[in-house]
Amino acid sequence: MAVRPVLVLPHPVLTARAAEVGLVDDAAGALALDLLETMAASPACVGLAAPQIGVGLRAFAVDVTGHRKARSCHGPFVLFDPVVVSAQSPEPAREGCMSVPDLTGDVARATRLVVAGLGADGRPLELELDAFEARAVLHELDHLDGLLFLDRVAGPHAVFPRKVYR
Amino acid sequence: MPRFSLSALGADRPGIVAAVTGVLVDQGCNLEDSTMTILQGQFAVLLVVSAPDATTAVALEAALAEVTGPLGLVVAVRPLAEPPGGAGTADEGDPWTISIHGADRPGIVHAVALALADAEGNVVDLSTHLIGGPDAPVYVMMLRVTLPAGRAEAALAAVSGAATALGVHCTMHPDESDLL
Repeated sequence: MAVRPVLVLPHPVLTARAAEVGLVDDAAGALALDLLETMAASPACVGLAAPQIGVGLRAFAVDVTGHRKARSCHGPFVLFDPVVVSAQSPEPAREGCMSVPDLTGDVARATRLVVAGLGADGRPLELELDAFEARAVLHELDHLDGLLFLDRVAGPHAVFPRKVYR
Repeated sequence: MPRFSLSALGADRPGIVAAVTGVLVDQGCNLEDSTMTILQGQFAVLLVVSAPDATTAVALEAALAEVTGPLGLVVAVRPLAEPPGGAGTADEGDPWTISIHGADRPGIVHAVALALADAEGNVVDLSTHLIGGPDAPVYVMMLRVTLPAGRAEAALAAVSGAATALGVHCTMHPDESDLL
């Protein structure tokens, strides 16, 4: 278990599609712990995808505990090979990313979401999420397809300078 | 009613918009379209104004210069041909948003714009951002474009090819708008 460096653009792993994990073995378990610990090490970080720490696998961690925009909250969790079961009611909101320095952007994302995958224990896991937790999961899911919020914003006037990051 | 384009550029400081628009009000001008933003600490103003019949570009520029000179702004006023819109093509074709990002290098904007122009695509809005540290600068380019109806696919393929040749990431999606 370790806090890993978070990669930033233009690192190629951030724009590549990540590979399926398939089986949650010891290595995957170690990845889950690294994701959780690295996420927890950055106070403003509510989610982290494996490509952001240089691992091209379909895995992410999310934790929206205590966030003022959160409604549903499953605490800190890791999902392997996640798929969207249903996504509804998109709403725009501004988001940033630890891998995209200096900018934020307005992105429309579903506010009601059901996502399925394998949990950190390797068992199938299905979660029903809304509001900010749904946004966080969809942001991380995009990372697994090599997509950043910059690829989702509505246009030139939906990207904004970020005063502070890290 | 004569119409003019007006540009003003200078080091950013509070009061620039108030000063420029104050002159326009005094001159009886109407602000029809505007974009104002900070570019690397320089405040850039681009306006289209309509003005009372006797107004000339020279007179309007002189009136502005009295106020903007002390603020360190360079101002230029040019007459616009009527009718409004001129040869603009912004309303024709299919609207798309294109996002491009990758390691900074010379020629990204040109290569993408050239691919678009060759495919008769029209840039209607464009902004770029240089982000990241000096060790690994990243160029982010966002475009809103209109593409010739029925030929959007070829234009997008050309842009995608240009991006690949530059080693930058490129995604595109149609601008969807629902009338409610």
